[in-house]
Amino acid sequence: MKFYLKLGFILLAFCVVATAILAYVNSVTKPRIDELKRVAAQEAMAKLIPNAEFSDVVIHLPEGASTPDSLVYYIATAKADSTKILGYILSAEKHGYSSNVKTMAAIDTEFKLINIKVIEQAETPGLGANCSSDSFAERFKGLLPEKLLVDKDGGEVKAMTGATITTRAVTNSIRETIAIIRKDIESRANTLPEVEA
Amino acid sequence: MSFFKELTKGIIKENPTFVIVLGMCPTLATTTSVKNAIGMGIAATFVLICSNIMISLIKNITPDKIRIPVYVVVIAAFVSVVDMAMAAYLPDLHKSLGLFIPLIVVNCIILGRAEAFANKNNVLNSMADGIGMGLGFTLSLSVVATIRELLGNGTWLDMRILPQSYNPMLIAILAPGAFFTLGFLMAAINMLKEKR
Repeated sequence: MKFYLKLGFILLAFCVVATAILAYVNSVTKPRIDELKRVAAQEAMAKLIPNAEFSDVVIHLPEGASTPDSLVYYIATAKADSTKILGYILSAEKHGYSSNVKTMAAIDTEFKLINIKVIEQAETPGLGANCSSDSFAERFKGLLPEKLLVDKDGGEVKAMTGATITTRAVTNSIRETIAIIRKDIESRANTLPEVEA
Repeated sequence: MSFFKELTKGIIKENPTFVIVLGMCPTLATTTSVKNAIGMGIAATFVLICSNIMISLIKNITPDKIRIPVYVVVIAAFVSVVDMAMAAYLPDLHKSLGLFIPLIVVNCIILGRAEAFANKNNVLNSMADGIGMGLGFTLSLSVVATIRELLGNGTWLDMRILPQSYNPMLIAILAPGAFFTLGFLMAAINMLKEKR
């Protein structure tokens, strides 16, 4: 009995030391990692809408309508003139074939797509995983939200060969997110007439 | 046992993938492209060297009966520290290798070498074993990935090798292609060995 207790305590000691080291390293590195993530997000946004400053807007969604209860989008205003709205940046997310596909999309004030960027996915290599390429983003440029449907569903987005499900996830997630923020933007325009639509 | 012999044995004679048949999950999962294979190989080599050194250092203070749980704790903690430090101070490297790090924690090569080698040998030889096994792992991953990427995408390290008119054999980069390639390679290696 005593023998097993001793073994248990030795294992406990190893775990305590390991946990202490991990906790220390985490406390040192966490602020840096968060800062790097924030910068990376800013850079991704700057690539979608250049020469702009971004301010975030949080929309609280009605409970039960969808899983997340709030949604963040960014208003891009010109660096030279902060009253001039260039467009909006939104992030959309939906399950594709084998992973959650996260996309960042930029739309102009008419809600027309400027560009998209898939930022997180783990789809099938060689098929769905090609959604992070520039040629895939090209398929979305200039599309109005009404036409944002995969060609097989009657829209204008050409599905990737052998990866219709991935294409559909990206397309539908963007369309649905635009619909949500459009409502929010339009209600703001009504209450604040001085903001240019 | 000389340092040099420990260093080279992992590359062919005791190749971790083809001969010892360790670390099959990453072999199957990360060989869809040569770039991924090399990334996984380098990350695993680094962790393997460090974990072999650590295990070799603590081998005298670990009671034999609980050595496996102790190794698991030590390796997992160490890999997490590397992951966090890399994310904070070498973000570019973390972008390309970070994906593989959580896979390495459960890579049986690491625990396999700790158990089979590092807990019986001194620090220097354990380090050599880690380098050799890591290189052997990287090499075999690259071989599998070369075949799969060439057949399935017509490219090697993202460079186009086969002409544009080549119709890629998609199955090679899908999961079954990994089993086919690995099976054929192992059969070929066994055949060569028997001839000798």
